[in-house]
Parts: sequence; structure tokens; C-alpha cells
Amino acid sequence: MDVFIQLLINGILLGSMYAIISVGLTLIFGIVRVVNFAHGEFLMVGMYGAYLLAAKFGLHPYVSAIPIVLLLFAFGALVQRFIIQPLLSAEEHIQIFATVGLSTALMNLALMIFGADLYSVPPSVVQHSINIGGFTLVIGQIVMFVCALALVAGLHLFMQSTPLGRAIRATAQNRNAALLMGVRVDRIYVIAFGLGAACVGLASALVMPLYPVTPTIGTYFVLTAFVVVVLGGMRSMYGAFFGAMIIGIVDSLSGYYIAPDLKEVVYFVIFILILIFKPTGLFGLGRGTE
Amino acid sequence: MTVKATSAPAAHQKGPGLLAGLTNPRVYCALIALALLLIIPMVSGSPFVVHVFVTICVFAALSTAWNIVGGYAGQLSLGHMVFYGIGGYTTALLITHFGLTPWLGMLVGAALAAIVGLAIGYPCFRLRGPFFSLATIAFLEVVRLLSIHFHEVTGGSAGLIVPLKLGWAWMIFRDKMNYLYIAFGLLLLCIAVSYLIRNSRLGFYLTAVRERDPAALAAGVNNTAVKLQAIAISAALTALVGAFHAMYMTFLEPATMFSLATSIEIAMFSLIGGLGTVAGPLLGTVLVVPLAELARGWLGASANGLHGFVYGTVLVIITLTLPGGLVGTFGKRVGRWIDALPGGGRVAPVREAPALTAITGMPGEPILIAKNLTKTFGGLVATDNISLTLKRGEILGIIGPNGAGKTTFFNQLSGFLHPNSGTVSVIGPDGVGVTPTSADGFARRGIGRTFQIVQPFGKLTVLENIMIGAFLRHPKVEDARAAALRVAKVVGLDDVKDVEAGTLPIGGLKRLEVARTLATEPNILLLDEVMAGQSQADTQRMVELIRTIRDHGVTVVAIEHNMQAIMSLSDRIAVIDSGKLIAEGPPQEVVRDRRVIEAYLGEDYADAQGL
Repeated sequence: MDVFIQLLINGILLGSMYAIISVGLTLIFGIVRVVNFAHGEFLMVGMYGAYLLAAKFGLHPYVSAIPIVLLLFAFGALVQRFIIQPLLSAEEHIQIFATVGLSTALMNLALMIFGADLYSVPPSVVQHSINIGGFTLVIGQIVMFVCALALVAGLHLFMQSTPLGRAIRATAQNRNAALLMGVRVDRIYVIAFGLGAACVGLASALVMPLYPVTPTIGTYFVLTAFVVVVLGGMRSMYGAFFGAMIIGIVDSLSGYYIAPDLKEVVYFVIFILILIFKPTGLFGLGRGTE
Repeated sequence: MTVKATSAPAAHQKGPGLLAGLTNPRVYCALIALALLLIIPMVSGSPFVVHVFVTICVFAALSTAWNIVGGYAGQLSLGHMVFYGIGGYTTALLITHFGLTPWLGMLVGAALAAIVGLAIGYPCFRLRGPFFSLATIAFLEVVRLLSIHFHEVTGGSAGLIVPLKLGWAWMIFRDKMNYLYIAFGLLLLCIAVSYLIRNSRLGFYLTAVRERDPAALAAGVNNTAVKLQAIAISAALTALVGAFHAMYMTFLEPATMFSLATSIEIAMFSLIGGLGTVAGPLLGTVLVVPLAELARGWLGASANGLHGFVYGTVLVIITLTLPGGLVGTFGKRVGRWIDALPGGGRVAPVREAPALTAITGMPGEPILIAKNLTKTFGGLVATDNISLTLKRGEILGIIGPNGAGKTTFFNQLSGFLHPNSGTVSVIGPDGVGVTPTSADGFARRGIGRTFQIVQPFGKLTVLENIMIGAFLRHPKVEDARAAALRVAKVVGLDDVKDVEAGTLPIGGLKRLEVARTLATEPNILLLDEVMAGQSQADTQRMVELIRTIRDHGVTVVAIEHNMQAIMSLSDRIAVIDSGKLIAEGPPQEVVRDRRVIEAYLGEDYADAQGL
């Protein structure tokens, strides 16, 4: 029983990392209606950024979170402005190819610059674990859990009670109607894409102390994030949050009870089943994939 | 003498089989271009050049096979390497454990891949664009992880070495040229299959399904079935190439056999060359693969990741600047240059249209029976217990205020909506009523419908649009073309037959709706507001056309707001208001019916008229 509870705790803590990444992905999909296949590479860019700031200036990733988040916001906004925006009215497959191409280009650019080696930041107290009631919790993961909660709460407040948040929600619900109400939709898209990327920036700063960065780290995380987003119902931030928790728990339990190398198989199978049988997501919060 | 004189040209006409085809510049240019893939490495003799050309042939073949499902069917698979890996592993394992020659092993692999393709396609084809892509990635990842997990069978991450037995029987050679022959043969096979599909009913159907689901259904196309055919063929071809490539590399590991990056590259070559075109995938591969290989050659190992970076950047640039790919953007112009070469610019002789499907049966007998049709959307009762029997050879007009439920009624008569309760039965030639289960089933049973909001296949020409309908009764392309031409003339679209349908004005599009539906040679024609947006003269023409159609034995049901036209045209009028059938009878009676006047003009008006 103790093992089970420990696994649950591990799962929830792991899930909070997926939550931060997936909330960003959901924002972009829910508002701009583009599936960002390069989302994982955004994470990778943020992680290399955090690594460089640590290596050159000795900044702890938690400190560099602020510049990284701003950097990723700008990066996301630029991608939206110069790659996605011209393709908004293009056919869907063209949009897919554009973000897939961006993903391939970024991943290989990192390979050219940094090579295939693993880079990590100097060890810090974040990697230590503490013991609460007989259960072990890694400090860095607790921080991530708190940040995930704060992020969702913050975005909720922003969306519900600021004029910009309202404009964003209006655009997400009906682009043309928002346009007629005088919302500058193109600018909303740029902001939304930036926000989505900024979430990944936050994730990368929080992940950096715990995982080494490689050019392909994005693929590893983003496929899981897609599973989460589909599970959460595609357009719902809250769905993505709970979906992330579920995938974290599934990851942790199946790694222990089935086989460590099959845990991804388990959640990809869940992913396929959800896509096929419940395209509005597990909680029916989103608008689905059809 | 006269006999000889007439028979000589006839014999010549028979000739345009192979030899005459060779004098067509489109044929000989293609053959010369393909032959270069063999001649250049033969002349150079360098093993590196041979290797580059084997790689080109392999990727061009993979991309061509991918294009059948990714381009023609518009289903963007990003996990196609799953079929490649299945082909490779099946072949290698059959050699290792059963001593089976790879030539047979690759066929087994292809069959297996086709089955897996069907299993992936069947549940996933209903997913919209990016989600289909994600699902295919998920399948690829699952298979890759499983192949690592079950390392007793596959050798796991450590990999599997193909037994090295030399000779043609075992597909392992010292002389690399032999590999090139096989790779080239596979490329030819893929291009031939791709070409045949493009120029067959399946190719047209795939385009139709990609462009407009509902219109394809109305033309009797079983959307899922045609996409499944495409993925099965594509998967089998991909597996053949995968099997060969595994033999060429003599080493299999999950990371390369089920690689996501390579899956993306295959799709990318098609996009660069031109998605959904026959030559595009080859062209894209020929342009990009040597570029990346040469860059790697010049810059050495220091350029790790360079070719991927080039690929990704090119992909983004292409989407921004040439979304149609090279063939889509320049294809027509180059085609004209080629046609200007000796022997070019031939026009296929116009064929005589095949016989129409005969309509049998007695006028006046019931042909379609709708019983108690009720359909609700949430709280709204769109059709409320409507019963109506259609008689053979009549023109039935359906009128009613906006939002009355006329189109919902139509959608149930044509199988596009299933009623909550009630039945639609189509009476067959044997007098027995059946209810088809799908919209395309209704179309195959002879119920043709148009859409109120026009549904053209925008990128096809007008004639090709009509052909999509004609294929239902005439599976051969030439027959369908001839039949479509006949319909185009009847409907008055023959002067714009080669225009892209998307560019027609609304009146033309309405007539195209009728033409496409008419081409399915229906027994019953359901017309949804085909006169809206037509000029006075065009309306008159449409009225004449509908009469002509009826005189050929077709039963016509028309929803219409143009009262003058519908009253003069119809034998019988049915009035629907708020989902209910409120009146039915000859036009003169219906217009005097109090409930009808109320529905249109309000109670006060009816009172004022003293009805």
C-alpha cells in the first residue's frame, strides 16, 4: 500500500510537469486552432537557454526562469507572426507541415550547435528529496506542482477578469464575431501563441535541474503532452491539467507494475483509444477532434 | 478496295498501345528522366554515387507510396515508417528462422503491412487532419517501443543482422549495382501503381473525398472504403521498399526501422515535389536527397544535424512560398513545354457516351415511402411525423417558410440524417422496400441529391466534377468522361467544362450541383433550391431541364422558394411548416389552402381573405 501511495505521489508530481507543458499547447490549439508540432522543440530551446545561463553566468534555472519565459514569449510571438499567421487560411496539411518543419529544423539546429551530448546544470538542493510521513518527495517536483497550480489559477484569473483575457476567449470561441466586435484577432493570436510558448519556457526552467537536455528531449516530452491534451479534451486548460495528472499517475504505476520500458506504450494506447472512442476528451470538457 | 481503305485506319487506330505511346513527349520525357537514375551511376561507377542513387530510389519509392494516402486521400500519415519496419522485420525474421527467400518474405511483409494499415485506418480516418497525424505517430511509437521490448524476437535495441548469403536469391550482393536495379524496379512499381490510381476511378474518388466529404457521399462514394483501399496499397508498397532497404543495409534496429524523423522526411519530399501528383514525390526526393548527401560529404561529420536542419528549413519555406509544391506550381507550364515537343499535344478522341441506366417500372407506382419521419436537434423538432409517398414519374414540389424543416426532410430522404423515429424505404425493381444504411448507399440505390449550399470539388474542373457522379454507373474513366460530357451538354455547362469548378459564379455552381447528381443517373432526383441565385433566363432553362429529366422517367422532388416556377412545374405540392406536413395536393388546391396562407402570410391575412 505504501508503495502504491508513493507511486501516486510520484505520478502527480510528474504530472505537474506535463501540466505546464500541456497548458501551453492547449492555449495555442484552443485559440489559434493550430496544432503546434514544434512545441517540444520550444521546450528544448528553453532548456538550452537555461543551461547556457547557468554555464555562463552561474544562474540557477529558477532565477533564469524570468528571462527564459520572456524569451520564449517573444520566440512564440515571432513564430506566430512570421510562420503561422501567413498560413492561417491555408489548408490544414500545410499548417501541419509548417510546424513539423519548424520542429525538425530546431531539433537539428541544436544538434549542430551542441552535438548529441547531454548537458545538465550543476547539482543543487532542488534535486534533493525530503521525507514527509514516510514518503519521499523531490523538492524540484514539489516546486513544479506548486507552479502548475499557480499557472492554471493565474491563467484562469487572467482569462476571466481582464479585458485582454476576455478578448482572447471571444477570439477562441468565434474568430469572425470577435473581429466584428473590434477585437484585433491577429494580435490576439500573436499574444496567445506567445503565452503558450511562455508556459513552455516556465516548464523548461523548472525541468532543467532535474533532466539533462539533448536535442531530442522535445520529442520525448511533447508526445506525452499531446496525449495529455487529447485526454483533456483539446481546448480546455483545466482538462489539460487533470489529463496531465492522470498521465503522470499512469506513467508511474505502469512503470512499476507492468514494465519500465512499456509505460509509454500504455499511455499511447490510451491516447489512441481516447482519440477513437471519446474525441471530446475524458471529461468532455473540450470540443473534440472531429 | 473500299474495304481495304476503311480497314487500314482502323488497324492504325488499334496501334496506340505501346509503340504509339512512346512517341508522346509526356511518355518519352518521363522515361528518359527515369532512365537517368540508372545511367548516371552506371557511367560514374563510383560506389558512393551508386549508394546515393539507391537512396534516392528508395526514398522516392517510399514517398510515392506515401503520397497515395497522404496526397491523394489527404490523410497526412506521419507514422508511415511503421509499414516500412514491418516489411523489413518480417523479411529478415523469415530468412533467419525459416530460410525463406526475401523475395517471398517481402510479399508476406507487404500483406501484413496492408492488414496493419487497414487496422490503423479504419478507426482513425474519422479524425480530423492533425489528429490523424498524431494517431499515426502514436501507432509508430507503440510499435517501436514494443519491438524494443520483445527483444527475444526482434533483437531489441541491439539490432538484428540479416543472414549474409550472397546471390540474387538472398538479395545480398558484392556489386552494389545489383541493389540499384532492385531499388529502381521498386521505384518503377510504386510510380506505376501511383499513376494507375491517379488515372482511375479510385484516384478521382480519393480526390473527391479529400475535397468534399458530403458531395462525395451524395455521388455514391463510400468514403471510408476508398481511403482504406488507399492505405492498404500504400502500406503494402512501403513494406516492399522497407524489406529491400533492410536487405541493403543488412542491419535492422527499431530506432531506424520505425523512425519518426524518417516518416516526416518521406512526407516532406512529397510536399516539396507536389502533394497528390504522380511526379511530385520523385521530384522532391531527387532535389533534396542529393543536396543533403552532398552537404554531408563536403562538411564531414562536423555537420551533424545539418541535413535535418536543411530539410526542416526547406519544409517551412515551401509551406510559406510554394504550398502546391513544385509540380503544383510549375507543373502546368512545364507540361505545355513538353507538349510542344515533337509528337505532343494530342487530344484523346471523344468517345461516344455509354448507354444510360434504363429506368423501368410503371409511372404512378410508389417509388419511395417516408413514414412518420421525426428528427429532433436538442429541443427543436425539425421534422415532426412527416409521411409522404413518392410516385414514379412525378414532379413533387416542396415549399414552406424558412426554417420549416424542408432540408432536414431531404437529408433524411437521402440518408444524410437518420430519423429519430420513422423509416425511409426505397422501393426496388422487385417491389420490395429497403432502407440503405448510409448516404452513399442511398445514392447507389438511385437517389440523387443536390445541396442547397453548393458543394463543388473546387480544384477539379467542371467536367471532372461531373465525372465523380458519372463513375457511379460507369467505372471506366473514358466511359465516365463521355457520360459526363453528355450531362454537361444537357445542363449547359459544356462551354466551361475545363474551368476549375471553384471559379464558377453561383448560377453555374447550382447547375453543376444538378449536373453532378444527374450524372449518377438517379431514379429519384432531390433538388434543394437549385433556382435560387439564377437569372430569369436561367430559371426558365432550369424549369425546361427539370421537365426533360422527368420525361426520361426520373422522379423529381424539388425544394423551391421561386413560387411561380415551382407551381408551374409541379404535379403535386407538399407544404412543410414548423416541421409538420400541413398540406399536400395539386398546386391549385394547395395555394388556396388556409393553413398554407397562414404559414406564409399570417393568420390576419388569411382572415382578411375570408378563408
